[in-house]
Amino acid sequence: MRYGGDNRSRLLLVTLIVTSLFLITLDLRGVSVVTGLRHGAQSAIAPFQRVTSTAFRPIGNFFSDVAHLGRTRAQLKKLEDDNSLLRKSIIRNKDLVTEVKQLKSILDLSGTAGYKIVNARIISQGTSASFSQSITIDVGTNMHVTRDMTVICGDGLVGVVKEVYSSSALVMLVSDPGFHVGARIAGSQEIGILSGEGTDVGTLQLLESQSSVKVGDILLARGSVNGKPFVPGVPIGVVTSVPNAAGLVSQLAKVRYFVRLHSLGLVAVVLKPPTSDPRDALVPLPPAPIPTPTVTVYITPEATPSPSATPIKK
Amino acid sequence: MLTRHSVLTGALFLAVYGFQLATVDQIHLPLGGFSLFLIFVLSWSALSAPEIGAVAGFFAGFLLDISPTASGPIGEWTLILTVVGFGIAFLRYGDDSLRTNPLSLVVMVAFSVVVAMGAYLLLTLMLGSDLGNTWQAFKTILGNGLWTLAIAPFVLPIASRLHRVVFETRELA
Repeated sequence: MRYGGDNRSRLLLVTLIVTSLFLITLDLRGVSVVTGLRHGAQSAIAPFQRVTSTAFRPIGNFFSDVAHLGRTRAQLKKLEDDNSLLRKSIIRNKDLVTEVKQLKSILDLSGTAGYKIVNARIISQGTSASFSQSITIDVGTNMHVTRDMTVICGDGLVGVVKEVYSSSALVMLVSDPGFHVGARIAGSQEIGILSGEGTDVGTLQLLESQSSVKVGDILLARGSVNGKPFVPGVPIGVVTSVPNAAGLVSQLAKVRYFVRLHSLGLVAVVLKPPTSDPRDALVPLPPAPIPTPTVTVYITPEATPSPSATPIKK
Repeated sequence: MLTRHSVLTGALFLAVYGFQLATVDQIHLPLGGFSLFLIFVLSWSALSAPEIGAVAGFFAGFLLDISPTASGPIGEWTLILTVVGFGIAFLRYGDDSLRTNPLSLVVMVAFSVVVAMGAYLLLTLMLGSDLGNTWQAFKTILGNGLWTLAIAPFVLPIASRLHRVVFETRELA
């Protein structure tokens, strides 16, 4: 049976609707009695809310947290990925800064000597299984690299090209036991042969028995005919010790290479030697001394205390 | 008799309203949660005669209007719940199949909640208030409807029993 309603109920409904509209009008016109009701309600309900808030705090977010579990996990994954990307970016930036420094030093060296070079990146380090010290670089015949070309970096001599392929080349490092290079001592111009020993230190054998070498002497490449395999003037290393053994035919010396062979990143292959020998122009400058701060202490002597005439009471 | 009905109904509404503000609102549920007060009031209206439904809606709307969290002007919920309370009671009175089918009553209450909240959203926008992201508001309304479908089957028997106690009439068990 459908409810038909009567005039009384319709009148009630209309009255209620009109009252509602009246309330809306009053509120929109800013009547303070009506707006004050909310403050009263809040004041009345606040103590209960405080109590229940304390009671429900541990479980208040439980349901929403459970519902957002998947989303939170996805956000966590995204943040981890972002973090990883940023970390990679930082490492890449650091690499780039190092490479820029290396390139600058290579350009400084080759610019001073007048070498025509081609830059190369090391793409492989030689294996220790063969006991040889070598690297593979990413330039080959495609960049006009040929056998027996000198390989340098910003600090000095790295090695010599041993094998060339279309887009890569094998470089024998200066530390290789089979490596020999004619060297001269900057300043005295004494000459000798430097041989690799598989470490960061090589052995210099002077050619003349009357020649002398001392610790701190700097060695430069003497240069070969037509600049192959060695261009002249490339810094090699510094004498670190001179063994004084009786009975030796010629003077020997231990030489530490300027180049840090284990941390090479960028190198350069000298395509064309300079037109004139740079002589000692490439001798690295000695490191600037670090100023030692001097501490000056002023002491003002105090007046010597005079013995007191007052007897000590016991 | 009318005074007794009004006082008891008012006391019940106040109790549920307080419970809503003090307890239900403290739990952060997904999809905006639900309004126990709306479910109870609309269930009550659905169990009542249309004029009682309208008065119940009026009183409940007024309580919602003075709620500290209400964003619209006072009288807005009053107007909406008066009409919706009358409407749900009128529809329930007019259809015998709805009277005897609790499931349809649950659906009707959920639908009424959605209609009431939608009307509130519309009226608030018409009155120039800002409700934030509209899509979020729609999601909240939809979420409330779904929550009501889940909660109403538990609220309806209680509301029905209390309604029977207050009005001393035979209603749904």
